[in-house]
Amino acid sequence: MSEAYFPVGPGLGLEENFLSLDDILMSQEKLPGRAESTLPRLAFALGQGAGTGDSIPEGSKLEIPLWLAKGLHDSKRRIISVELPKIYKEAWRTVFSADANVVDLHKMGPYYYGFGSQLLNFDNPENPEIAQTILQTFISRFRRIMDSSQNAYNEDTSALVARLDELERALFQAGQKGLNDFQCWEKGQASQITASSLVQNYGKRKFTDMDG
Amino acid sequence: MEPAEAEFLAEKELVTIVPNFSLDRIHLIGGDLGPFNPGLPVEVPVWLAINLKQRQKCRLIPPEWMDVEKLGEIRDQERKEDTFTLMPSPYYMELTKLLLNYASDNIPKADEIRTLVKDTWDTRIAKLRLSADSFVRQQEAHAKLDNLTLMEINTAGTFLTQALDHMYKLRTNLQPGESAHSQDF
Repeated sequence: MSEAYFPVGPGLGLEENFLSLDDILMSQEKLPGRAESTLPRLAFALGQGAGTGDSIPEGSKLEIPLWLAKGLHDSKRRIISVELPKIYKEAWRTVFSADANVVDLHKMGPYYYGFGSQLLNFDNPENPEIAQTILQTFISRFRRIMDSSQNAYNEDTSALVARLDELERALFQAGQKGLNDFQCWEKGQASQITASSLVQNYGKRKFTDMDG
Repeated sequence: MEPAEAEFLAEKELVTIVPNFSLDRIHLIGGDLGPFNPGLPVEVPVWLAINLKQRQKCRLIPPEWMDVEKLGEIRDQERKEDTFTLMPSPYYMELTKLLLNYASDNIPKADEIRTLVKDTWDTRIAKLRLSADSFVRQQEAHAKLDNLTLMEINTAGTFLTQALDHMYKLRTNLQPGESAHSQDF
């Protein structure tokens, strides 16, 4: 129990974890979509007009964040319709199935797995293939994450994590922590008492400050 | 579990020492120890042996598996086999570190022993990773690995269980959800 703080992990299923910071950041990512009906006076809010009275005409293309898309999406009242971002489409899916290790998942949207799982909420005939691709990508990249995280001790790991998305980075850190704990124990530092990370940043106050 | 906790558990193992003091049998909660007579070997738990050694009250005798030939054989067998060999002690890593740090003068060829144990450890960890990778790749539901020690499980365990958690959640996405959880108005 040497952790000072246990973060809540992302919910990778169809529902996000309400308390997870990763999920909150992930839901800010934008989706391409179309306005199905006229949206009066919302042009300014969605970044498309200058005046507060402008409305968005029907059929115009929009980039909406995920949280807004999930809220407005409804098959009966057609307010907006969403499309898949290009990395979840057919062309990129074949790239992933060919070799998932070469793709720079950080550039493609740093929340590939989480965002992909959320996309399954919208009815789309390609959903089973998207879910399968996400799973297979994770499995193919697992080996490389495991090897790189368990072998890089005391080195600069920025080159190794540059191409990983956020979920994989969390896994990488877990692997590094296992390795670091073991090495630190082997060197005998595990029995030394160190200051907790929570209080290390407190400034030291001198006695004279506390009097009067 | 942290490596320090595994080391704590390892300190219960028994090791032979030769004390240079005398003391009657002592009664502890875990059992009786003793009696201690100078020059006569007696078996004590490692925590007591290390403490006595630090106070220069005894001489440690290395366990019979901590010997260059035996460890060399184990290392060669580890490299040949695909499965894990049975290690002479379930706490071989912790005992090696403790005994070689505190009592290296009582153990012949301490450096070679350290190298041999490290080689064996590296081979076993590599096998563990290979097995974890094939487990994930084939999406198996259940795997059984014999003869793993606690320290090895600790080093690789956190990463593996987290990765398997993620895989499980991604896999339940494959089943289409039956219930609609959005509100209709």
